[in-house]
Amino acid sequence: MSNTSTMVTLTIDGIRTEVPEGTLVIEAARQVGIMVPHFCYHPKLEPDANCRMCLVEIEKIPKLQTSCSTRVAEGMVVRSSVPHVESARKSVLELLLGNHPLDCPVCDQGGRCDLQDFSHEYTPTVSRFKELKRVFPKQYLGPVIETQMNRCVSCMRCVRYCDEVMDAQALAAEGRGTITQITHWAGNELECDMCGGCIQICPVGAITSRLSMYDYRPWMLKRTETICSYCGDGCQITVQRKDDQLIEVNSALGAGRNNGDLCVRGYFGYHAAEHPDRVQQPLVRQADGSFAEVTWEEALDRVARQFTRIKATHGSDAIGGLITTRCTNEDLYLFQKFMRVVIGTNQIDSGARYGHINGVRALRRVQGTHRWTIRYEDLAQADAIMLVGTNVNESNPITALHVKQAVKRKGAQLVTLESLLPVRSTVSNITTLSKHHLEVKSGQFSAAILGLVKAVVESNLVQEDVAREAPEFVQTIRTNVAKVSWDAIREQSGLSQTDVETAARTYSQAERAVVLVGREVLRSLGGEGLVTNLMDLQILTGHLRRSGSGLGCLAEGSNDQGAVEMGAVAEYFPGPAGLHDEESQKTLTRTWGQAVPAGAPATLPEVLTRARTGDIKSLFIVGDNPVESLPGDAGVTEALDALEFLVCQDLFLTETAKRAHVVFPACSAMEKDGTFTNTEGHVQSVRQATEPLGESRPDWEMFSALSVLMDHPIEYNEVKEIFKEIRGVIPGYGLLGPASTPPKVDEKTVAQYVTSGFKEDVDQRYTLDASPAAPEGALTLRLVQSLYHSGKYSTRAKGLMEIEGEGRLHVNAREAGRLGIEEGQTVRLANDGGQATVSVKLNDRVPDAVAWFPEHFDEPVRALFSLKVDPHTHVPVWKTAHVTVTKWSSTNRSIEERSRV
Amino acid sequence: MIFHKHQATVNDILSRYPVKRSAMLPLLNLAQKEEGYVSQAAIREIAGILDLTPPQVFETATFYTMLNLKPIGKFHVQVCRSLMCALVGADPLVDWLRKHLGIGLGQTTEDKMFTLSTVECLGSCGTGPMMQINDDYYERLTEDKVGRILKDLRETGDCSLKSGPFLVPERGEGVVSL
Amino acid sequence: MDTQKQTTRLLDAVLFREIWKAMKVTFKHMFHRPMTFQYPREKRTIPDAHRGALGLLRYDNGQERCVGCDLCEAACPSRCIKVISEEDKSLPLQRYATEFYIDITKCVFCGYCVEACPVNALAMTKMYEYSTHDKRTLLFDKERLYEIGEQHLEDAKKYLYAHNQEHDDEESRAYRYHFPQPIEKTEASDS
Repeated sequence: MSNTSTMVTLTIDGIRTEVPEGTLVIEAARQVGIMVPHFCYHPKLEPDANCRMCLVEIEKIPKLQTSCSTRVAEGMVVRSSVPHVESARKSVLELLLGNHPLDCPVCDQGGRCDLQDFSHEYTPTVSRFKELKRVFPKQYLGPVIETQMNRCVSCMRCVRYCDEVMDAQALAAEGRGTITQITHWAGNELECDMCGGCIQICPVGAITSRLSMYDYRPWMLKRTETICSYCGDGCQITVQRKDDQLIEVNSALGAGRNNGDLCVRGYFGYHAAEHPDRVQQPLVRQADGSFAEVTWEEALDRVARQFTRIKATHGSDAIGGLITTRCTNEDLYLFQKFMRVVIGTNQIDSGARYGHINGVRALRRVQGTHRWTIRYEDLAQADAIMLVGTNVNESNPITALHVKQAVKRKGAQLVTLESLLPVRSTVSNITTLSKHHLEVKSGQFSAAILGLVKAVVESNLVQEDVAREAPEFVQTIRTNVAKVSWDAIREQSGLSQTDVETAARTYSQAERAVVLVGREVLRSLGGEGLVTNLMDLQILTGHLRRSGSGLGCLAEGSNDQGAVEMGAVAEYFPGPAGLHDEESQKTLTRTWGQAVPAGAPATLPEVLTRARTGDIKSLFIVGDNPVESLPGDAGVTEALDALEFLVCQDLFLTETAKRAHVVFPACSAMEKDGTFTNTEGHVQSVRQATEPLGESRPDWEMFSALSVLMDHPIEYNEVKEIFKEIRGVIPGYGLLGPASTPPKVDEKTVAQYVTSGFKEDVDQRYTLDASPAAPEGALTLRLVQSLYHSGKYSTRAKGLMEIEGEGRLHVNAREAGRLGIEEGQTVRLANDGGQATVSVKLNDRVPDAVAWFPEHFDEPVRALFSLKVDPHTHVPVWKTAHVTVTKWSSTNRSIEERSRV
Repeated sequence: MIFHKHQATVNDILSRYPVKRSAMLPLLNLAQKEEGYVSQAAIREIAGILDLTPPQVFETATFYTMLNLKPIGKFHVQVCRSLMCALVGADPLVDWLRKHLGIGLGQTTEDKMFTLSTVECLGSCGTGPMMQINDDYYERLTEDKVGRILKDLRETGDCSLKSGPFLVPERGEGVVSL
Repeated sequence: MDTQKQTTRLLDAVLFREIWKAMKVTFKHMFHRPMTFQYPREKRTIPDAHRGALGLLRYDNGQERCVGCDLCEAACPSRCIKVISEEDKSLPLQRYATEFYIDITKCVFCGYCVEACPVNALAMTKMYEYSTHDKRTLLFDKERLYEIGEQHLEDAKKYLYAHNQEHDDEESRAYRYHFPQPIEKTEASDS
């Protein structure tokens, strides 16, 4: 609550209190420690006052009032525990219990049920109702949710949550009166975001999770608060286990950056960590090519000896390292320290290379910080939000929730530049909330962004201060965008001049405006340039320095941001600081007790090229899986096979790990301590929730052990000591608590940028490059992020696999009609690279002439794609291809098989 | 594509309300008039027109008992079961109909001619027992009369014993005085 | 006074009075029913409320009463009960115990578990003879517990009656919960 709002004094049960105007009586009571019983009220939802449980007496109002919908007034006198209030509660409860089965002993909610608690507190044990109770059959709402409507108290919290918070509107209250029940609709299989919010918010046991049904009683569970490792949002989750069995994951109201909201991956994806395929023992390749399980001593010893040998014979730069961004900051820091100090090479890179690095480089260049200058709270206060190529609902569902809140509650104006159609269905779609939706042709964001800048410059939306302070900057951009015609922009991006101009006007005229940039921009060729152009847009409209405004690049991996800050990328030392930054070199030399290596860095594509040419003899790959995360023509397998010695450290025996000489079993994020840095830049604690499976150990312990065996000991007693060292290197790291302020724009860098820095590449940034036209009749196939999965890791989670167990080709109904295909049919995709047979799913939000395929199941279609590497930032780009689609039936197959015979 | 041929009507209905969602009931009625019941396809289509999701339309449709969510017979026999009619023998009437048609409440005869259901007061308390078949009232019912009504309807599709319709003024000529 | 005392003592000595006194008790017991009995040939009657070994019960139709609710486990002060439950796939909604263990070596025979049971699936029996050479057999599993319950069904029922958990009539069985609830359908949603 802000301090500016006026305060109101009222008395609740004899306690005088002062609360801001507009507070609900029930909230005011909570603040003075009086719990008014309630079912339908929830702080996240608008008051509905349908359960009548929270009745209180308010002086001078003749009848009892629902405290959840009454707002405080000056001098109000509220009584919550006088006899007739209690008797009102009693009768409400008696009526609810009139239809509630007394099956608490078998109900999963029993022990943490609001109705149970209030019944114990307020009702006599005997009911006056002798009538028969209603009976609903049990229903499975989809593969992971089940409902037992006999227990429902019709508070409608689930329906309201689904509508107000998730904007999915997938639940319906069917029927009326006592026979109201919560269903999807007309017996159709539930299709929604599957966020599990209805399960979490149900005050009784009417909606429960099928994954843990009847496995536990609430009092048996041990709880650990940790951070979800599925995306960059960094949600706080409570992992609950019974003995060593993972039972449930949920999140408490007010917890973490997500305020207790979770997405499907967080709520149902927890089983990935205990998948039976986990590597549980160190593995060493035998002479015959098979793996043998060995002890830690033997495996570590072999790796240390090989690394020492290769370093001695071929030099430090014959060894390279790759690490995944699912690791904690401590792991990432220690990995780069190990590579730089013990091995002595700068040839390291991480998963941030897949796209996030583009954003960080542009931010550093223009505003001088590598982090967002905004927080989620600023999203809620923003007047305008612009999403550029994010598909935020799928990639960062909780950021999407903050955007939804801003639009639905605070009336922020949403501008979306996305390649997805604003079709409303029971799976939420961020573009349906959009005020100005600009439907960008697939992959043509550069033209769209150029159009925005052009619209701002040409419609006189440039802020006067900027035009005065940096006339050259404005003028250069003006001349550059003038060279591009609106026709060319429309031709390429599919956007009309008026649409772009209205969107640009909405954005520039907003007092506080936030831009979120997503993977379709970050993972594209010239992504750094595109983000820089968006920064230019902010400078032109004056939003860059305004508080509450800013630009954020959405991180996909759980610790993409951390990987960059820990210096686990080729171009940065921890900080991140440039490799030639003298101050940073000095600090690191002092901390590490040794000079930093001077060798040339190598990015992920460079590492692979050098491995192929034989310059790199050995690779240390931690959790990363380049074989499966790059297309076939990237030559990853050739590169790995050319190596003398490959060490992998992973949870599973991935395609990359199968080529290794030694495999170390690593711990999942649930099994170790550490910190994650989320997309906003919040450093949050990861805590150990379960025991490491088998012999697996946290990643940092392996680096530490290897360093000892290689006579370069870097030793720590516990993970906190690493964090202490990180703080020594990056002063103040991890001080960002929930109430902290985000970093400010560095004025010096901005001034430098607008006077001279921009000149360097402004001519290239503001041109339309001729994109290769799709062959006639071809469909643009795009590998997209699915809401139900994250990377390949989530395909090991049984709950998520039940929701989406295979990759299907998503096309819209028009396209399907044109191709003559139907839902469920099998089609053949083909292009020069190869062919694939997949089944079809109709999805109305896919644009015309485009087909989507979830990247998590890309195995069959990977051959269709070819790799392009950004010449500047070396980001691998490969998620789009042009394919021809033909219907494929079993007869085709048999003909082909026969001809093969 | 139920609303395709009624585009003008749909536009007219939509123009009546400041909030799009308010047009839901008229559209549901239109769908029921068109198909005899509210089909899933109709729900999907209404959701598309009103920018809602099918569950939101569905929950509204289930709230109103006058909207049928399952296909019904050609003639929907709705017997008043409220107090006034009950006092003058609505229950025996329902039993007679059940036996005669061979179906229970909410069911449809095998030839898809009749669907039997009971409804709350139809506002014709002075002339009970009474029933409504589709839009027509049949009042002061006796067994003979009901037998004749059913026979006529089955054979000709119309019956001269009707005394209505009262609820759809655009077709009839105002209210008939009793 | 002294002479009188001495006379009494003299008489006691001469007449062996104290021996007679003792013999009186002996002779009395010669005609008394014996206090001890010849266990194991003879066994004593045990009161109904006796807390003996625990058994699991079934309904008269053979269905397992236990719903696997874990309340006995929660009530047990010596932590000797372990229940693992699951959904009965053939009867949706029905919860049942897949495994049920009582470590009888740890059991303190307090009877709390019986009191906690919402369906009266647990009862104490009059069985006390389960000494063994192998301590491992004293971890009663679900099968053994149902076996005990079956063998001592009458005793178990009497225990429940004696502790007022259940009465010997239909109505009292309905007092405790029975899953799924024996309630009729009210009205179907007729459209």
